[in-house]
Amino acid sequence: MKHTLRQVFRSGKFVTGFIIFSAILLTVIFYPMIIRDDPLQIIGQGTFFPPGIYVNIADSMSSTRYILNLDDAAAKRIASKLNDADREAIREWLVGAGIPEGDIDIANTESLLGLWVSNYDTTVRIPGMTNADRNYYIRLNRSLDGLLSEEGVTIAATNPDTNALEATGTVELTEYANIREVANVRILPLGTDNFGRDVLTQLVTATGVSLRIGFVAGLIATLIGLVLGLVSGYIGGVVDDVILFITNLFTVIPGFILLVLISFSIGQEQRGAFVIAVVIGLTSWVWTTRAVRAQVISLRNRDHVNLSKLSGHSIAHIIIRDVLPYIASYVIMAFILQISSAILAEAALSILGLGPRTTDVPTLGLMMNWALIYQAHILGKWWAYLPIILVIALIAFSLNLMNTGLDQVFNPALRD
Amino acid sequence: MKGYRRYFANKLIWFFITLVVAFILNFTLPRLMPGDPVAAIVSRMAQGMSNATGVQAIYEQYTELFGINRPIHEQFFIYVSNALRGDFGYSISQYPRTVADVIRSSIFWTIGLQLPAIIVGWILGNALGALAAYRRGTFDRVLLPASLFVSSIPAFGMAVILLVIFGVSLQWLPTSGGYGYDLIPNLSWNFIWSVIVHYQLPFWTLVLITIGGQAIGMRSMSIYELNADYVKYSRFMGIKDNQIVRYVFRNAMLPQITGLALALGTMVFGAVVAEVVFSYPGLGSTILTASLGQDYPLLSATTLIISIMVLVANFSIEIIYGFLDPRIKAAQAD
Amino acid sequence: MGEVILDVRELTTKYVTRFGENVYAVDHVSMEVEEGKSVGIAGESGCGKSTLALSLMGYYFPPLHYTSGDIIISGQKITDMTPDEVRKTILGQEIAYIPQAAMNALNPTQKVIHFIENVFDAHKMGMSSADVRAKAESFFHAVGLPPEVLDRYPVELSGGMKQRTVIAISVILSPQVLIADEPSSALDVTSQKMVIKMLRQLMDKSYIKSMIFITHELPLLYNVVDDIMVMYAGQIVERATAKEVVLTPLHPYSQGLMGSIMVPEAGLRDVKLTAIPGVPPNLKKPPSGCRFAERCKYVRPACTAQAIPLRDVGGGRSYRCILSPEELSEAHAREVYSQHVH
Repeated sequence: MKHTLRQVFRSGKFVTGFIIFSAILLTVIFYPMIIRDDPLQIIGQGTFFPPGIYVNIADSMSSTRYILNLDDAAAKRIASKLNDADREAIREWLVGAGIPEGDIDIANTESLLGLWVSNYDTTVRIPGMTNADRNYYIRLNRSLDGLLSEEGVTIAATNPDTNALEATGTVELTEYANIREVANVRILPLGTDNFGRDVLTQLVTATGVSLRIGFVAGLIATLIGLVLGLVSGYIGGVVDDVILFITNLFTVIPGFILLVLISFSIGQEQRGAFVIAVVIGLTSWVWTTRAVRAQVISLRNRDHVNLSKLSGHSIAHIIIRDVLPYIASYVIMAFILQISSAILAEAALSILGLGPRTTDVPTLGLMMNWALIYQAHILGKWWAYLPIILVIALIAFSLNLMNTGLDQVFNPALRD
Repeated sequence: MKGYRRYFANKLIWFFITLVVAFILNFTLPRLMPGDPVAAIVSRMAQGMSNATGVQAIYEQYTELFGINRPIHEQFFIYVSNALRGDFGYSISQYPRTVADVIRSSIFWTIGLQLPAIIVGWILGNALGALAAYRRGTFDRVLLPASLFVSSIPAFGMAVILLVIFGVSLQWLPTSGGYGYDLIPNLSWNFIWSVIVHYQLPFWTLVLITIGGQAIGMRSMSIYELNADYVKYSRFMGIKDNQIVRYVFRNAMLPQITGLALALGTMVFGAVVAEVVFSYPGLGSTILTASLGQDYPLLSATTLIISIMVLVANFSIEIIYGFLDPRIKAAQAD
Repeated sequence: MGEVILDVRELTTKYVTRFGENVYAVDHVSMEVEEGKSVGIAGESGCGKSTLALSLMGYYFPPLHYTSGDIIISGQKITDMTPDEVRKTILGQEIAYIPQAAMNALNPTQKVIHFIENVFDAHKMGMSSADVRAKAESFFHAVGLPPEVLDRYPVELSGGMKQRTVIAISVILSPQVLIADEPSSALDVTSQKMVIKMLRQLMDKSYIKSMIFITHELPLLYNVVDDIMVMYAGQIVERATAKEVVLTPLHPYSQGLMGSIMVPEAGLRDVKLTAIPGVPPNLKKPPSGCRFAERCKYVRPACTAQAIPLRDVGGGRSYRCILSPEELSEAHAREVYSQHVH
């Protein structure tokens, strides 16, 4: 046993898979202990906020102000408002409005802005310009307002007596707040989803739930497969014929058809994550049964089994002591594969609209489903779909690697 | 020839048995579940919760079509005979279209997409796997982990990744549908070109996900065969290397054919989900429509059709296999 | 004394492991095989005898590599030839091989006759397929197989028929030397005897000129071969006539092999008990002195000091031990006596 374990951990493939899987598992366990936010809480008003650090504006204005004289501050400010695409767009507009192309230098911010301010007019019609383009230029014009000014921003408040705006202070362009002194800062490493929920927190919880679905489904499928395979292979005769017949049937009749049919029939209300896991487990035992049966048949007439039979041991004793240890490696390998295929099955079901009901827990499949429904992939909101695909692929990849590693240890013929 | 006849007869009988079981499961499973959708349709009517003419018509047709008031075994025979005539009643979500009509408009998209994609993926995957086993070295060391990783990406994930790269970022190909939404299906060049362009992303998605698994399988089968005793013996009898490679790959290919038959169900599942990502007008999207619209008649018919498709494909593969592997004939002759 | 057909001089070959280590499984082996003679090579599994069989073919593929030494067959130094020349002109024609697992030696999805056609094609014999068939039929007749077998797939043949098919194909190009690597190990006792008898007959009818027979059951060789070589850890430790090695073995290892207990039951043949405790040394780092020292009953300090050369005692007999023939015979006699007493 110890020797086998040492051999398994010497396999590079197994170890790589094991490390990836452990990293995922540890994240799932420890992340919620540190970040205690409700994964399903809707915090963002709006869809798909990009990843980043969100700083409360009012809080940062009222926190201590520090003066930092940074040379590149103005340049960065302009760059963030006026990127290359914007400059190109301005040139296009100006050309369209009849300014000679030679006069326009898009690298020179000052002259470009000068031309823009003196020429831009919302009422001018440029041939070939769509409504969307026009709106873009209006937005651009607004954001460029006062870009070159060196003046600070004036803060105003309404005087309750006169109802007039009165200046209460200014914010200089050189003033900074220390982010650690701002009362409200929220880090959203993966932004928010279509409902405005924190994607990372939700992703970690969903990974946990999906792993649990995988474990439950894998456990059920492996148990059924193990029992059927043992009974079929060891007892043989009519029992074997019947079990083999059923197994062959479900090998050709696609399991996912049953999965879809059952999931649909149970109805949205009844479909919790656990129920889905059970249904997946109940429809995916075929491979384990086949593998276990084949192994048991080859074991059945081995000398040590015969010896045990002759010694008058009970069937239970023989199966536990003389058969199980020899097929343990196959069962573990089958279990590992079941976990990853169950996680994939849940995800696929969810995308077909047949996943667990959406109100209590997130799963990887449900997150993917919402991302697709809200077209995160078309809109370029990568943080809403890419991490999910990556996590699913990594889970499957790590489990497959572990499985391949085990296979090479236990079936040396495949070793190269 | 007698051996073959017995083999084919066996396969044919087995095909019919699985077909019957597929019908039985399709009929009974939903009726055994706590949320029995057939009962749900009936009770929705009985409670008078809806007085839309559509539901009324469906209910009436349902009672007649499925013989709801008759004993369960009679219901089954009514169901089978209706199904054989292609009569699956009205679709709830797309009333007044019939289920048969909805399926007729989507089944060819699915077959046209999945059949070529799985075949191409199978061939490419096997070629790569064989090459990896034969060349060994760097090619193999890179290919195996790469195939393992690629085959770990779920079908829908691969679909999204290709869609984002080629559809959204590069804008080379359209992102959804089976043809331009502004076109009406006809036989014009314009329409055919649109179909071809829309076909690319879903097709290559399915090819890519098929390749990974097949390459891994073919690689280990080929390594197994390369170490076989007949390879050593043939070498020492002076047989040329390329001749031996031909022996090996033919023999490694045979289990891959059976493997394809066994993996078909899982492949079709992945493909069906990938269709949804591309809003491809096939059976995958039909399942989505049915599940969102609580459309039991449509879902039930779709799953039945997919089962039959998989069973037919399986049967065909086994017949082809029977011709290719002489061991089949030998085993039957005993 | 017949003409020397196979002359092997200081042949060394190695396995290169996945980690790039060299394992010298055949270490400076020299031997001669004369026309009309059969030589047996004996030793435990892992002693290098099967590797020697492969190395004698002169056709190497990974993980086995040629290192040094010469193989001369009928005057041709095949170690100087390119692999493709060896393949085209030597394999099958000068030297042929019957593998350990003859049962699986044929491609299961190819008809026997097609394989034979491939064999003739590979050697550019330029024979019409009718001639090939006629020749195959005569060879199959010689091993007692009906011509129908040619049109069968190997899966359609019984174990014994497959064995004969392989033998017939191996000798179909009339090789000078036939190497049989435990051709009988997978068979029951009757079939084993049948195979051995058939090989002898083939030599008597001069389908082949000489034979090398490899086995781990030294006593089995007694009636079969003329000379015996005993191998241990990649080296030859004793060479003599079959009678001498079996009846009066000199090297302690040969003595041990003769003392091995034969367990006849089919299922237990794999776990065959050996009278020699311990296992052969790891050839990645072979001992510098006598390689058998660790397991030898008569070991003394001088054994591990330096490499032991092969000692020639005349009459074609040689052995690799520091003890004199007299000391060894005496020790052996004591050993046999004490075994009988217990």
